[in-house]
Amino acid sequence: MLQGFFEAMGQWPISQAIGSSIWIYPLIQAIHLVFLALFAGGMMIVDLRLLGYGMRSKTVSQVASDARPWVIIGFLGLVATGVPQLMQNSTREYFSEFFWYKMYLIAFGLIFLFTVRRKMTQGAEATTASKVVGLISMAIWTGVTINARLIGLFT
Amino acid sequence: MAEMMMPLRNVFQWVSEFPTSIAIRESLFFSPYLTVAHVISMCLFAGLIVMMDLRLLGVGNMSTPFSELQKRLFPWQMLGMGMSSVTGLTLAYSDPMRFYVNIFFWTKMLVMVLAGINAWAFHYITYNSVVSWDSRATTPFGAKLSGALGMLLWAIVIVSGRLIPYNWFQN
Repeated sequence: MLQGFFEAMGQWPISQAIGSSIWIYPLIQAIHLVFLALFAGGMMIVDLRLLGYGMRSKTVSQVASDARPWVIIGFLGLVATGVPQLMQNSTREYFSEFFWYKMYLIAFGLIFLFTVRRKMTQGAEATTASKVVGLISMAIWTGVTINARLIGLFT
Repeated sequence: MAEMMMPLRNVFQWVSEFPTSIAIRESLFFSPYLTVAHVISMCLFAGLIVMMDLRLLGVGNMSTPFSELQKRLFPWQMLGMGMSSVTGLTLAYSDPMRFYVNIFFWTKMLVMVLAGINAWAFHYITYNSVVSWDSRATTPFGAKLSGALGMLLWAIVIVSGRLIPYNWFQN
């Protein structure tokens, strides 16, 4: 069903433009990683706190509210640099299992972020429940990163 | 220049002939998984460095005194640094001649040294006065400079690292 859309996307003038230059696509890939570092930092400082490590002198909710703007900026930057990569590479990514694993994990990660993890980051101290949540959050986004890197290496 | 670099080139050449170097180079999965582990450990290291640099700039994590943030994040930053170093050195070990001729690899190495000098200078100069600005919303110029340089230099390290596979400048 989506195959037609992905094939059409590869033909869009803007997709062709990205592919026509030897340096635009690599630079977008590289900047994607810089935003990844920002996003990961904002996620991890909170996940570590949920696990009872890192910023223990502050409540979980304080750490989370300090990190929130950077998580949002990081995520928006990742989308802004991720979509052009997909546009230029659409057919290849459509047939990459790792691309789809990554998308499913992002979808799951976002749902988890806005429901369970959000609820958990309103608390003050790390609990058994918050440790489980921090661990799951780290596992999901590590999984996203692993699959993302494998798209480029194995397809 | 080429002649001056010969001893270095010889070392890279020598390492590339080690049996374990050849074995990793020729294995189908080892290098890709090392690359993946390198990216994950980069996230831990660079992510938490950015969190600290934002505080130095006076724009992020402002509800925490700087020294507190630094003390709590340091072990995790070092874990990230250790993992990045191990995976990165193993990657370089597995294919030294590929990196020796790569301008982005040397850019990355040089900028990492600069980032190290920046961290060192901050620690021995600006950090001495930390008690006077630890909890303040406005950080001194030295702290801002160090935070901005830290973010810029590590971003260049990440970008040049990612560009290593693109050998535009090689004959």
